[in-house]
Amino acid sequence: MKKFSLLIALVLTMSFVLAGCNTNTDNEQTEINPEVPSENVTDNNNVDPGELVVYSNRNERFVQALLDKFTEDTGIKVSALHGANPLQLVEEQRNVRADIFISNDLGALGYLHSQGLLQGSNPQGIESIPADFRAEDNAFFAISVRSRGFIYNKDMISYEDMPKSNEDLFDAKWADVENGYAITRGGNGGMIGHISSLRYEWGDEKTAQWIDSIRTHAAGIYQGHGDIRRAVGAGEHAFGLVNNYYFHQQLVEPENNNVGFIYLDQGDDEMGAIANAAGLGLVNGAPNNENALIFLEWLLLPENQVLFVGESLELLINSEYGAEYPEVVAANIVEFKDLKSQDMPIKELGNYFEDTRALIEASGLDLDLR
Amino acid sequence: MSDFSNDYNIKKLNKKNDAKVGEKFSPTILRFIRRKWLNIWNCNPPGLILLLLGATVALIMSIPIFYVAWRSLFAGKSRWTRLLDQRIPQLLWNTVSLTAVVMVFTLIIGVSLAFVTIRTDIPFKKMWRWLLALPLIIPPYVGAVTYIIIFGRSGWARNFWRSVPWLVDNFGDYPINIFSFWGVAFVLTMFTYPYVYLITSASLRKMNRNFEEAARSLGMNNFQVFWKVILPALRPAIGASAILVALYVLSDFGAIAMLRYVTFTAAIYFQRVGFDTASASVLSLVLIVITIIILWIESKTRKNNKYYQTSNTYRKPSVLKLGKWKTVTILYVSIIFIVSVVLPIIVLVYWSIIGIRMGALDNRFIGFALNSLKVSSLAALLCMFLSMPVIYLKMRYPSIFTSIIERLSFAGYALPGVIVALGFIFIFNNYIPALYGTFYVVALAFVVRFLPQAMQSGEASLSLVSPKIDEAARSLGCPPWLVMFKVILPNMLPGVLAGGALVFVSSLKELPATLMLRPPGFDTLAVRIYFEASEAIYHLAAPAALLLIIVSIIPLRYMLSKY
Repeated sequence: MKKFSLLIALVLTMSFVLAGCNTNTDNEQTEINPEVPSENVTDNNNVDPGELVVYSNRNERFVQALLDKFTEDTGIKVSALHGANPLQLVEEQRNVRADIFISNDLGALGYLHSQGLLQGSNPQGIESIPADFRAEDNAFFAISVRSRGFIYNKDMISYEDMPKSNEDLFDAKWADVENGYAITRGGNGGMIGHISSLRYEWGDEKTAQWIDSIRTHAAGIYQGHGDIRRAVGAGEHAFGLVNNYYFHQQLVEPENNNVGFIYLDQGDDEMGAIANAAGLGLVNGAPNNENALIFLEWLLLPENQVLFVGESLELLINSEYGAEYPEVVAANIVEFKDLKSQDMPIKELGNYFEDTRALIEASGLDLDLR
Repeated sequence: MSDFSNDYNIKKLNKKNDAKVGEKFSPTILRFIRRKWLNIWNCNPPGLILLLLGATVALIMSIPIFYVAWRSLFAGKSRWTRLLDQRIPQLLWNTVSLTAVVMVFTLIIGVSLAFVTIRTDIPFKKMWRWLLALPLIIPPYVGAVTYIIIFGRSGWARNFWRSVPWLVDNFGDYPINIFSFWGVAFVLTMFTYPYVYLITSASLRKMNRNFEEAARSLGMNNFQVFWKVILPALRPAIGASAILVALYVLSDFGAIAMLRYVTFTAAIYFQRVGFDTASASVLSLVLIVITIIILWIESKTRKNNKYYQTSNTYRKPSVLKLGKWKTVTILYVSIIFIVSVVLPIIVLVYWSIIGIRMGALDNRFIGFALNSLKVSSLAALLCMFLSMPVIYLKMRYPSIFTSIIERLSFAGYALPGVIVALGFIFIFNNYIPALYGTFYVVALAFVVRFLPQAMQSGEASLSLVSPKIDEAARSLGCPPWLVMFKVILPNMLPGVLAGGALVFVSSLKELPATLMLRPPGFDTLAVRIYFEASEAIYHLAAPAALLLIIVSIIPLRYMLSKY
């Protein structure tokens, strides 16, 4: 009997020790009383300065440095779930774990807010964000903007030969350019925002045909934009549909950087570039609410807004804060205000989110990879 | 089983049956039920605690899968029809054709290699025997990464092709597309053929020479002997290994996802990532059905194929002289070895060196390694602990109940990690929210996936422990569950630990369940390899992949000794 209870105690103690970070006060207790259920351990993290749980669907490399600096500045430990889908918040709404949701797509944030999953607040510094780029109750706001367009490999195709608008992609001839072109799979946040804007402009029927065209004609269908810009740079495809900052990133690569970029639909009678913004929302019922508010105010400091752009090389909404770009990128920056961009206010995207997903799913693009 | 326990039980039975007239239940019925109960257990029922322990394990193992199937029934008619019309036919074709092609290729390679290393006079035979099993330690998704680096659209092979004008002039542009059906089939074949190779080798080694000599005396030549005598005798082994390969291909997520091919497993994962859980469960049900069909075919063919070896006249099989075929054979074996082991390792070492120079082994890397260690060792511990009641019941108290418990405990093994994870998310998010999103859930999912590995190795060592020891302990008044832990466990510890090591290594490499269940801030090495490689950041993916491979050498010895 003794040996057996020893074994149980060993297994239990082992699992508590393995829990690592938050066992500091509980070790003694577990040895005396092996029946302590494990969830008690995780409750015990109100000790200063506590932690912050961030879900992010933005590229990890852009976000992690920001979060590391936050920890450095405030001592608050950040647990990040990178590659999170906004709908995870919907699924977990009765069991909220996230404090902050960082998104590449303001549409996703708008949708979450419409579902009551984000909460309003009034953090210091919020007035620095223009009203077009935040919810009325500030439940979510954007920091950086990007616009969609084609990155192309200058060794393979010239500016003149490139398609210049969304309409152009209906044409099957783009399937025949050398090595074809690349898009992301339909589940990608950037693609969802793109298609929402097309629906606003064109209506569902024409948009569905457009999805069908690119699905049929694209030579590569990728998970994310990072692979696309690398592939285009390396000559695996002639061009690819990405956000403009991926063009900036490819420019700073040591090799495969002979690339150009086309802002779409800039003609007088055309719809203008499809824009989107990256930002964040405060999760309703956030378990670490206080730390989440600290994070929001911290992020709104000009220097940290600049850091939000960080390695992504996006454009700041508050461009006067002076995001610094490498020389080669600075020469290629087109200020957001100098672009002709879509009529649809970016804040509207959220109202389109759900039906856009349904449209993408009906087309089959959500599951495609190639 | 033992006289003592029979007497003991009958005495107990008699005592309890001293029933009075007018009791609530008729004593006759009670007696009838007791008799039936004892008959089921062959007059040797296990203690209640032991039975409950075993049943609980079986429940934990199988509930997630039943739950997924159950949920799929409530996905709604429109979703079912939509999926049946648009998705399922294509996925079915993608999945089944890939499975079939990989099965055929692994059989050709596995059987031929087994034959060459066991039955011919190929030089360095002993060395080849274990060299050719080495792909076992390379997880297919790591193999996929290495082949993307070699054959990818901007890989080494393309650069080479472009640098040779003659090739470009005569054959045009670089022709290989690894992101294709044949690319996926190639990668899966190269890293799963050892299943066939090992099992067939074991069977070949046991074959009796007499049959072949009889065939030769009837005038058959070497090829005829191979086709008409050897191959049919290998059919059970070939069948068993083909099933293993098929189950693997059905469940693979990492390799196919990296090669951008979509089978059921990938579709379930992507549906789930997009949080269309209803569709994910519908697709899961279809995959469960396919798996069951495959297992059913296997049990069917096993029944019809019985080959008997006569052991009393056993003679070691003769060794075939290769003669003029020697060069060709060595070339063939070397090519397989280079493609499945040498090239991938070279690629990983090359990128690891670059990565380490760029500081890939930083605190984050150590953190990921520690996370992997943490969750895998917890899974291994749990598996060693939980496998005991099931195998003890199975070996000492055989009955219909124990075989049900055992079968259910195997449920997670045959099914993809994606489905296990899906079931876990349903259950923990809805009913056990306190554990949802903790790494305990990840470890539990590993237990469901890999418990059978611990059971198999535990079983092997329990079969060496005499039941007499149990009886002695029982005679001193120990209940069965206590006998198991206190007396039997110490005696079979080496086998249990070996099982634990196997589970540990499998858990380190497990990808889809980790991806779907990991809590915030809890990335493992496998997850990192997947993310870094899918972003083409190879210098960060390679060191982690290399580490996983090095650790996997530990259980390789065990696996080799088994076959």
